[in-house]
Amino acid sequence: MSQTSPPPPRRRRRRSVFVIERISRCLITAGGLGTIVAVSLVFVFLAAVVVPLFLPSSAKEVANEPVANAWRDTPPSEIAVDDYMRVGWACFPDGSVECFRLDTAESLVRRRLFDGPPPTAASVSAREEGGVFGFPDGTLRFATIRAAARAVDPASLPEELRGIPAGSPVRHGDGILERLPDGQMRHTVLDTRVEEPIRIEPPSKVLLVDSSRHGDTVRVAAVTEDGRLVLESARERPNMLTGEVTRVVTSGEMRLPQLQGREPPSHLLVSGIGDSTYVVWADGFAVRIDSRDVSAPEVVEKLDLLPEPRVRVTSLRFMIGRTTLAVGDSMGRVRGWFRIKPHDAGTKDGAILAMAHDLERGNAAVTAISTSQRSRMLAAAYEDGTLRVFEMTTEKTVAEVAAGSPLGRIALAPKDDGIAGMTAQGLLSWRLHARHPDVTLSALFLPVWYEGYPAPTHAWQSSSGTDDFEAKFGLWPLVFGTMKATFYSMLFGAPLAILAAIFTSEFLAGRTKARVKPVIETMASLPSVVLGFLAAIVIAPAVEDFVPELLSCFVTLPFAMLLGANLWQSLPGQGRRGSIRAWRVPFLFVMTVAGIGLALIVGPVAERVLFAGDLKLWLDGQRGTGTGAWMFPMLPVSAVIVGIAMSHFVNPALRRISRDWGAGAMARAELVKFLVGFAAAVGLALLLSWLHGLAWDPRGSFVGTYVQRNALIVGFVMGFAIIPIIYTISEDALSGVPEHLRAASLGAGATQWQTAIRIILPTAMSGIFSALMVGFGRAVGETMIVLMAAGNTPVLDWNIFNGFRTLSANIAVEMPEAVKDSTHYRTLFLAALVLFALTFVVNTVAEIVRLRVRKRAYEL
Amino acid sequence: MIEESVRRGEKPAQRPVVAGFVSADEPVGPRAARPPSGLFDAVERGLPFETTVHDELRSCRAEVEIESFDLWYGAKQALFGITMSIPNGAVTALIGPSGCGKSTLLRSVNRMNDLILSVRCGGEMRLSGDSIYSKDTDVIELRKRIGMVFQKPNPFPMSIFENVVYPLRVDGVRDRHTLDEVCEKSLRGAGLWEEVKDRLKESGLSLSGGQQQRLCIARAIAGDPEMLLLDEPCSALDPIATGRIEDLIGELKGRYTILIVTHNMQQASRTSDYTAFMYLGRLVEFGPTGNIFLNPRLRETEDYVTGRFG
Repeated sequence: MSQTSPPPPRRRRRRSVFVIERISRCLITAGGLGTIVAVSLVFVFLAAVVVPLFLPSSAKEVANEPVANAWRDTPPSEIAVDDYMRVGWACFPDGSVECFRLDTAESLVRRRLFDGPPPTAASVSAREEGGVFGFPDGTLRFATIRAAARAVDPASLPEELRGIPAGSPVRHGDGILERLPDGQMRHTVLDTRVEEPIRIEPPSKVLLVDSSRHGDTVRVAAVTEDGRLVLESARERPNMLTGEVTRVVTSGEMRLPQLQGREPPSHLLVSGIGDSTYVVWADGFAVRIDSRDVSAPEVVEKLDLLPEPRVRVTSLRFMIGRTTLAVGDSMGRVRGWFRIKPHDAGTKDGAILAMAHDLERGNAAVTAISTSQRSRMLAAAYEDGTLRVFEMTTEKTVAEVAAGSPLGRIALAPKDDGIAGMTAQGLLSWRLHARHPDVTLSALFLPVWYEGYPAPTHAWQSSSGTDDFEAKFGLWPLVFGTMKATFYSMLFGAPLAILAAIFTSEFLAGRTKARVKPVIETMASLPSVVLGFLAAIVIAPAVEDFVPELLSCFVTLPFAMLLGANLWQSLPGQGRRGSIRAWRVPFLFVMTVAGIGLALIVGPVAERVLFAGDLKLWLDGQRGTGTGAWMFPMLPVSAVIVGIAMSHFVNPALRRISRDWGAGAMARAELVKFLVGFAAAVGLALLLSWLHGLAWDPRGSFVGTYVQRNALIVGFVMGFAIIPIIYTISEDALSGVPEHLRAASLGAGATQWQTAIRIILPTAMSGIFSALMVGFGRAVGETMIVLMAAGNTPVLDWNIFNGFRTLSANIAVEMPEAVKDSTHYRTLFLAALVLFALTFVVNTVAEIVRLRVRKRAYEL
Repeated sequence: MIEESVRRGEKPAQRPVVAGFVSADEPVGPRAARPPSGLFDAVERGLPFETTVHDELRSCRAEVEIESFDLWYGAKQALFGITMSIPNGAVTALIGPSGCGKSTLLRSVNRMNDLILSVRCGGEMRLSGDSIYSKDTDVIELRKRIGMVFQKPNPFPMSIFENVVYPLRVDGVRDRHTLDEVCEKSLRGAGLWEEVKDRLKESGLSLSGGQQQRLCIARAIAGDPEMLLLDEPCSALDPIATGRIEDLIGELKGRYTILIVTHNMQQASRTSDYTAFMYLGRLVEFGPTGNIFLNPRLRETEDYVTGRFG
């Protein structure tokens, strides 16, 4: 290559430029990724809390030891385990109790509870810590049987026991000694106590016995050999001053129905508050006795729990709360029955026993049932050696294990964390990890038949005062509440916002527009908590006093405005620039005030005519007819009908005859037309409402009992909250319609209003849709306003005058009281996830539509 | 740069001697990129001058009469004492350099300038004898008498059919038969019928640019106006589409009075019967197109139509 002149030296980029470039690139990347990660983490965190709700439960065998021969000869009638799954106790038919180690089946102590003849009937349960026994001489005796754990001072123990390692219990005396991880020593012993006998008069051998404690009242029921049902109710009332306990005993008895060819009944159960007593025969025949008044019990219902022939009740237990009967039969079914109160019960106390739950059927006859002491779970053992754990309400099969041979007796641990079972050969125990048996996907979103409800329902009721309360985690009422809040606030806010957007973008001059828009946008910065308490403290009570007037406003306000518009047209000096145009807005304001004034006059009249003189009583359904209720939907409908009729028939005729009329005459004709049209619309609405009212009274559906904090209030206030966002986006969409379309329409002789409605609005429709979606998203997620103004009642009711509870308000209300990692806690997170999904879907749709708008805007 | 210097060198030699306005002081030497004209100089200084109107126009029947029409955008005056009569049934072209007020004048005829709040105007304008700017004038009625076609094709985002019958729709016409009839007539009038008769339900936006502009013309004539205002109707179109529009203007001539604004000298000369030359808000010369292009009275007009400036 030939030597050419060197190229001119290029200016080199300085090193610092490189460095800054690098750093900024890293920062931007980190920031961007960080944002994405943060947003995803929210989702991941929510999901991580929610997922365990749906993880399967597990049961693991921990012990399988042969039992003493004595047990094989006379198996216990009941077994129970302690809180820590260390010891168990078994109650034998002869009235003796034996305490044993669960891990080795080693007997710790055996005690006879009673001297004299062995009991002929017993009702013992771990939950009641004992029970009641019946004797051949017609006496009843209460006994306390429990495994009592107490902390012992290591110094008081023998030398060799002080150093036992944690987690490996040893026998000590009659009980078992264990070192806890924190160094304390726990001694668990069998604690039994027997109370004084209660005598049945006249004495007769007791065949069945059961008892129930409710508050300070104990009820005992016994079936005697001579066919009587004896009821005793003992109420202990301590004297506040002396501490003396007075015992008030009431008793009563009745003859059991004589049933031909039947053996004596096999089961007797007294319900939780003692209001019902059930006597059940082995073939499934059951009698429900109303025992609210102990001294006068009466049979209120007879039914067959097992209508199939030759099927027998093999196990019958109460679920927690002693309301639901878990009936196990020889076909391997376990079914839940409880008392419901339908409208057409046909029994004396208005209740019937209904089969609400039918659990997954086993392959062989049920041998034993054990119900949980803290939840609605139960364990059922089958003839084929399997054992299943169910959740009664959700009908979910929680766990299933196989024991090899049939389990004659089973016990679900007090903390639901274990199961003990006895076969003819051995004692088995399992660790149960039940997680969240009371939640299934279908229980969350579909109707569930909760205890005592007349039919499967959607319900949310997460907590209560009593332990045997059943938590109801139906999310649907909350989703519904969210929808209701959104619907009513959109109904109120969306039209206002869109009309305001049309007004500013199409009818306001540039300078005014530049001022109005930011002012409306500042509305968005009003904290929703302020709106919320305004709604709850100021608006709700105020509205309550003026409901008829307020409802009238929906009619009188548009009427006054339209009347104003028509009057304005008839005023002289139209079209002159700067003459009376400037007074248009003040005039509108005057008409608004007039409309409200008119409502104050019309309200009481409407209340008298349509709502039987008192709106609230009428809403309650106590008086009047359904006609008034139909006015709500029928007024707009008939307004539309009259409007269409007017434009089809009256307008062409008017146009024909008005060719050479002046503007004044035309305006007067329009005024007359408007007044006639309005009267026609009201008349038509009345007629339609009356006709509909004949067919169906809508009270109880979209209108109903008035509650102070209701959807109407939320509609107003949340509508106010979503106006700015809908307004801003709609206004942008409307202003974004190319100017040349506006010019084309105006140039073709359209008025501004025609241009706005026929050209601008349709062109900007997708933008407005997107605005509505964003407003919808805002309303769905809004918390403070609904929390404060909606009453927070999780009811499924479209009634605009009733309250509701939204997902977001529910989370805000209940999260502080939810126990961490409990079902309640996780369900609240699930509610958050549902809310997240809802807003995510809505916003995604809005975004897709917005992108389409942009594409379409390019075409124009 | 080179061209400009050449042009500058040529100008003094070609300066025609035309009777008309004579400036009080002739410019001393040519100025760069400025026509060396006494008249233009006077206009720039705001001196009074008289429009040169050819005699042929005096005998025509006027569709629109404009008298001493002034227009301000806020404080800035855009039109200065325009006086002209737009002949009935003929095509009148408004030409002139950018910013001379052609479009403003055109839009004043159907009061489209009303939409701009800062606009004020003075003087008088009449459409077939009816005052356009009187206090009693119904602007909407006025616009219905005048069809307008814009620079950029602006069909509405609706079907071809609805686009065409829009002027009837806003009048509340619902009769299907009438609408169909008007649609066909207008589309035939705009020379678009054969192309779109099978797809009247399709969006107006699916048409090509030239078709869209003819659709806009169909829309403009659907309301049966007395006059058409065409505001640079071909500036966004390719030459073939432009040709079609120009042919169309020829066909529409006679039925409607047409006022067209154009930047394109050839187009003005091809399509119009009369041409008005405007400069900085003033009407400079107005006469039959042939005269304006071949035998203008003013040297400034000739400079413009021959492309020496503008």
